[in-house]
Amino acid sequence: MTDHNEAFDQAFWQAVDDMHAGAVKPIESYLRLVPRHERDELGRMLADVLLARGAAPTPSAQENEAYTRALAVIDDVLGSAGPAGMLPNALKTMRGARGIEPDEIVEKLAADFDITGTAGRKALERNYHRLETGTLLGTKLATRLLESLAQIFDIDVRDLVAGAQPTGKAPRLTVAPAMGRGSGATGPSGRGERAPDLLPDPEVERVERLFHGGPDA
Amino acid sequence: MEHDRHDEYALRHLDDMQLEAIRSEMIGERDERLELVIRALVLRAVPVIERVCRKRGTDRALSRAQISNAIEDASVRMLLRLKRLDRQPAITALAAEIAAACIDAQQPTSPTVPRLATRRPDLRLAEALGDAVKDGRVRPNDWSNS
Repeated sequence: MTDHNEAFDQAFWQAVDDMHAGAVKPIESYLRLVPRHERDELGRMLADVLLARGAAPTPSAQENEAYTRALAVIDDVLGSAGPAGMLPNALKTMRGARGIEPDEIVEKLAADFDITGTAGRKALERNYHRLETGTLLGTKLATRLLESLAQIFDIDVRDLVAGAQPTGKAPRLTVAPAMGRGSGATGPSGRGERAPDLLPDPEVERVERLFHGGPDA
Repeated sequence: MEHDRHDEYALRHLDDMQLEAIRSEMIGERDERLELVIRALVLRAVPVIERVCRKRGTDRALSRAQISNAIEDASVRMLLRLKRLDRQPAITALAAEIAAACIDAQQPTSPTVPRLATRRPDLRLAEALGDAVKDGRVRPNDWSNS
């Protein structure tokens, strides 16, 4: 691809946008926007685009609306990809499309991982919310958690594993503590031991492992 | 999404197979432009998804909103599928398969039972009695002889 000036880019994309909007002007009006020596190349590029598009379909307003919404969803999911890849927004969209409430997901996860106590359920709710809002690291999610989510969403677990991988360079994220911590008073400082009543709730610990402990947790 | 529009233009010139080959290569190399390629592939899939969902959804008597939900569901599932390392089948075939599954996941709303106006009760006995009282054939009970 050769280097072009800004006017060339603007003219080209103006024409493409007009084509998408069904309001394309005569090609000469775009060619006039670029220096004379670049008109041949712009003309060739626009011809290629027109050829690739083929005959303009005449979709109904309903089809247009669905198509536009689908494109918006795609850009939203891709554009918001973070430390858990595109998984957070993908889960949210699939949940919305299938009418699944977050409570139902927490319920199913609780059943799958034998979480019966209030503290454990709260930890599940909190972590699932964090997963959907993109504040967890995708590479730290346990495979068995993704397997359980795959069943709920009726999807191949390999799709969820792939979706949870951040694209490009590894993300920098301050990882939340892997173990649940008891709230309230802290134990005696300066000692290497903790009082038995301050040990983390085993169910909370199990939940934290699922969401932060890595694939094999 | 930030990307080079020249890249986007270049991708439009590739056929589905070429794009799929680039996708596989980029995933292996953790190339930051992968999303651009995935987007290009999914954009080619959306018309297929839209067509399959609309046809199958209409056949299953789904509402417009349900069909629209299935289209969004399928589009996102395509994105996730294309993040996988393994080679994928032709994009149109994959799109049709996923779209059909997404439509099938929508529950058809039960047909609405027509709500008819309540039928007027047939009070033939009461009406006949009323007529008889008017004609004097029957006297209203004044409870005097009971």
